[in-house]
Amino acid sequence: METNNFSIETENLSLWYGDFQALMDVSVKIPDGKITGLIGPSGCGKTTLLRCFNRVNERYGNVTTKGEIKILGKNIYDSDVSLLELRKTVGMVFQRPNPLPISVYDNILFGLRIHSQFRSLTRTQSDEIVEEALTSVFLWDDLKDKLKTRATSLQLEQQQKLCIARLLPLKPKIILMDEPCSALDAKGTLAVEELMSVLAGTYTFLIVTHNMAQARRISDECIYMFLGELIEHRETQALFETPEHPKTADYVQMRYG
Amino acid sequence: MNRSNLLYNVIAIVILALVLFMFWNFAASTSYVEGKITSGGVVIDTLSTIYGYLYGMIPICCVLILFSLAVAFYLEEWLSHRSWQYRIIERIIAIFACIPSLVYGLFCAYFIVVKSQQISYLTLTIAVFFIVVPVTIRTTQQVIQKVDLSVREAAYALGAKRMRVIADHVIPNTFPMILTGIFTTISRVLAIAALFIVICGWKITESNSKHSFDIPNNAIVLLSSALLFSVISCLFEKKKSL
Ligand SMILES: Nc1ncnc2c1ncn2[C@@H]1O[C@H](COP(=O)(O)OP(=O)(O)OP(=O)(O)O)[C@@H](O)[C@H]1O
Ligand SMILES: [Mg+2]
Repeated sequence: METNNFSIETENLSLWYGDFQALMDVSVKIPDGKITGLIGPSGCGKTTLLRCFNRVNERYGNVTTKGEIKILGKNIYDSDVSLLELRKTVGMVFQRPNPLPISVYDNILFGLRIHSQFRSLTRTQSDEIVEEALTSVFLWDDLKDKLKTRATSLQLEQQQKLCIARLLPLKPKIILMDEPCSALDAKGTLAVEELMSVLAGTYTFLIVTHNMAQARRISDECIYMFLGELIEHRETQALFETPEHPKTADYVQMRYG
Repeated sequence: MNRSNLLYNVIAIVILALVLFMFWNFAASTSYVEGKITSGGVVIDTLSTIYGYLYGMIPICCVLILFSLAVAFYLEEWLSHRSWQYRIIERIIAIFACIPSLVYGLFCAYFIVVKSQQISYLTLTIAVFFIVVPVTIRTTQQVIQKVDLSVREAAYALGAKRMRVIADHVIPNTFPMILTGIFTTISRVLAIAALFIVICGWKITESNSKHSFDIPNNAIVLLSSALLFSVISCLFEKKKSL
């Protein structure tokens, strides 16, 4: 790791759902501007870990968290942290494309309308924002005549790109992705991956995936989790080729050898 | 909301207005005689006394329906599903919602018509409360639960506040289905009202040979409206699946 700049740092992070412990003393540092993959068998707590970073876990009433999470150097459980600001900084893309059931145009502006006094946006400004966001995800040419159509009627691949696009006007620093390609076909998957590699650098990506090949293709670093514990965190190539921990080796080879 | 949703809602509201209008005319045409007022309420000695009370129940029903919707939204959107409050309320509602409205209706008819022969808004409200509230809460809850969870999460993850998510996502997506639930409820209430009229009419005729009522004709208006509401609600259910 060349830089010392980390977007996300956790220190002995543990999490319980009721009395079931889903995360055990996870300490991890996610580097700035890179793509970090998060792999591991089903139920090992990948989604849980991801959801800690923008505190959406709290919506379940029975969650207890212990330990420290720092996003861009700031502890997100400090009392002066605003959830609104946190969720602006840390965007999230979900497994199934989930645009809001409103027009493409309104989907892109949905976040902004929550965060800023949306009256202050003029029509031209909003048009520009929408165009810019759609252009960065390579959707502008396809959708420029369909801005008023319902986002849920688009193709899945376009929907998922739109879900990424709607984060961009908020100028997030970190984008969390929970199996963003599992509902897409091979072509859609490649398109989203390509998009990620273009956007990496500007944004820090943390992506959960069940697809080993994908983790290998796109991530710079990779984290292997097992039953709520962080087993190994190394550069992707090293993790796949010379795993240090026998559990990692089992998992990587089971899928890959 | 898109255009076809809107269309369905407009149709529903027009039909609702028509039925209410029909009722109102019917009410106006029956001569209205107040019964004797006693400490417990009003003695039932003519059918029109009862009709007077049944029409008086319309606003009360509306309030109860709105109340149930509010409770359902509170349960689903504000309370954690794992909290003990949620589980207890859920359980109680489930028990009351399982009991057929006929049972409540017969109890109510028994106590009001047969036992005390007195009618009051309080007793009717209690009966209607049990017929309307648990079932409406239940159906509304189920509709809200069907709303795509991931879309809701996405909105929260973008920083949306709860009211925003409800107003922009939950209500637009559930409105037609909630309307279905309300129509079913109205249909149940009408059916019970028909039953009530039959029992009252029978009782009055039995105790007072001067009055003889065309019970079937009175009841059939209510019953056919009940049927109408059921049919409408079925249509909605067919057309609007989430
Ligand atoms: N809201 C919740 N309440 C209780 N337990 C939960 C909740 N969410 C997840 N869990 C449990 O926590 C553990 C970790 O779940 P999590 O969803 O983080 O796994 P995952 O690694 O994302 O799995 P998958 O690959 O299947 O998505 C699982 O055992 C799961 O059953
Ligand atoms: Mg998961």
